[in-house]
Amino acid sequence: MPTNKEQVAEEVTYLDAISQALAAEMERDESVFLMGEDVGQFGGAFKISKGFMERFGARRVVDTPIAENGFTGMAAGAAICGLRPVVEFQFADFISQAFDPIINVMARHHYRTGVPVPVTLRCPFGGRLRAGPTHSQSIESYFAHVPGLKIVAPATVEDAAGLLISSIRDNNPVLFLESKYLYRRLKVPAPLSLEPTPLGVAKVAREGTDVTLVSYSVGVQQGLEAAEVLAREGISVEVIDCRTLVPLDIDTIVKSVKKTSRAVVLHEAARRLGYGAEIASEIGEACFWFLDAPVTRIAALNTPIPTSPPLEDAVLPQTEEVIETLRKVARS
Amino acid sequence: MATTRKKTTGKSKSPAGGVTADRELCLKMFRTMALQRAVEDRMVTMYRQGEMLGSVYTGHWHEAIAVGTAAAIRQGDFLCPLHRDVGAHLWRGMPPWQIMASFLGKATGPTGGRDGTLHYGRPDLNIYNPCSHVPDNVPVATGGAFAFKYRGEDGLALCYFGDGATGNGGYHEAMNIAAVMSLPCIFICENNQFAYSTPLRLTTHADFYKKAAGYGMPGVKVDGTDAVAVYEATAEAARRARAGEGPTLIECVTMRMHGHAEHDPASYVPREMLAEWAKRDPVELFAARLQKLGHATEAEIAAIRENVRQEALAARKKALGDPMPVATNIEEGVYAD
Ligand SMILES: Cc1ncc(C[n+]2csc(CCOP(=O)(O)OP(=O)(O)O)c2C)c(N)n1
Repeated sequence: MPTNKEQVAEEVTYLDAISQALAAEMERDESVFLMGEDVGQFGGAFKISKGFMERFGARRVVDTPIAENGFTGMAAGAAICGLRPVVEFQFADFISQAFDPIINVMARHHYRTGVPVPVTLRCPFGGRLRAGPTHSQSIESYFAHVPGLKIVAPATVEDAAGLLISSIRDNNPVLFLESKYLYRRLKVPAPLSLEPTPLGVAKVAREGTDVTLVSYSVGVQQGLEAAEVLAREGISVEVIDCRTLVPLDIDTIVKSVKKTSRAVVLHEAARRLGYGAEIASEIGEACFWFLDAPVTRIAALNTPIPTSPPLEDAVLPQTEEVIETLRKVARS
Repeated sequence: MATTRKKTTGKSKSPAGGVTADRELCLKMFRTMALQRAVEDRMVTMYRQGEMLGSVYTGHWHEAIAVGTAAAIRQGDFLCPLHRDVGAHLWRGMPPWQIMASFLGKATGPTGGRDGTLHYGRPDLNIYNPCSHVPDNVPVATGGAFAFKYRGEDGLALCYFGDGATGNGGYHEAMNIAAVMSLPCIFICENNQFAYSTPLRLTTHADFYKKAAGYGMPGVKVDGTDAVAVYEATAEAARRARAGEGPTLIECVTMRMHGHAEHDPASYVPREMLAEWAKRDPVELFAARLQKLGHATEAEIAAIRENVRQEALAARKKALGDPMPVATNIEEGVYAD
């Protein structure tokens, strides 16, 4: 009989998946190393690299000063010189300090020189943890505009591992957005397969016929919940998980919308110029003659993300809003 | 630590009795400095003739810095030059016509016209291609240094930056990281008294070399018009870096003798200051030294000068004749495979 403790260990969280995938890639490839604030002896603010120091040593688990610009630029240089750095930002919000090396060095270097810059930028992002305006941001839109970067945002435990593996093996700078809300909430039975999931391939997370919901990261989980509720009302929702925002698998999205004739795009980022605007626009161009309703966005309000629960909940999309919007669009 | 490190490619000479004891090395350094001058003078003329795409940045009075540093390290070391360092590119083996091709937007430029002017490099020569943002090659250089250390090799990274660039936060972060991680990195501060129009007193309230102490690394100040002094300081910094003793900051003091770029008449620079510095032309100074050392006669110096002048003229001819890029593949290469 397994003890309680062992039963707990038989589950793998979204966070464990990232940790396991990262460790596996470090085992597999000597040129992969982790760097960031408190990642070494402390094991990282969220404990992704717990035990890494003992396993890989200080050479490959590199504690840095609080210097996002400096250490991100350093990662660029190390990658240009043949290594494959994985950079942990303690919170995605702090990546603003590193805009310059990401945009002006990493994202342009291959185009200018033919030299690849394989860096994985790991960013714990998003809200719902009552962490307030500078610890809850969705940063994808800042970077989605920049040619030369890839952006990955897993919604499931399996993808958290599989997409991280592909991101590390990819020869480009990849922004890897980790939902810190899902870190410990999402679990699957162990063991977890550590196979790469290809970048640029969306997934039909749930099949349906009446309306397509397009989302990524935590929005996919919210969408699946909403779809379950609506199924009881006889509304069939197809949920598409983008998985990667750049490159975007628009074909899978378009195929679904042509089938359902209705599309709702959901994300936690602010509405104005959120990535949903791009997705909605692509759908509009590709599916105009197939649509029975306007492509509709669900997103955060155009405000900073407040801390206190009633305030944060009022700003970020809630499942009830997702259900109502889908119902309305499906019946229009 | 030094004994366990794998040797990187290329040789750097540390001649017994210093660099001046090595005639061949001295002559090669002189030729490269003179070539930088000739190439840049030619590019200034090309700018005036309206041949260039945009402005032209020159390194007059920076020749001893560019060449003295590049000559004191190995070909396999990671070199991160900026706009005053044509001589470092030339030392590594970049042909003059290719530098001109970059300023002309030609297909044969190092980036094939995707970038231009001073933003060129040659990965095959271990020359980093910098972006516009002048402080950005400092963190990148620390990354190159990190990679050598990570692999247990005894290579080093050497980067250049002006006095102006040191005001930037990324620069400080990189200096601090390099010291904390004891990275094999050499930081060359090219103090040429001005950052565009901004004089030194508006850029810093302390000597640059003294700031090294604040990071816990050695800081040295050398006469940036003296190729021998620059070489010797760099050779010592390289020895430290390869021995695992960490980074060094070298402040090389010189003057920016032209405008920020050729479009800039630099009327903000006091004329007396230029007149004073005009007496300290690094190429002239090194030529005189070589003669004094008996390494070259006046006639030999003159022959080298004529030779590099011809090389610059031939470079212009080739660069002008080279094709412009065609826009057929502009969407390729945004991403690596
Ligand atoms: C981050 C950044 N800000 C502004 C500029 C525009 N700019 C280019 S060179 C320059 C002056 C640089 O001065 P300094 O670092 O002293 O080098 P110098 O040109 O004197 O050799 C400026 C302001 C830039 N390239 N990068």
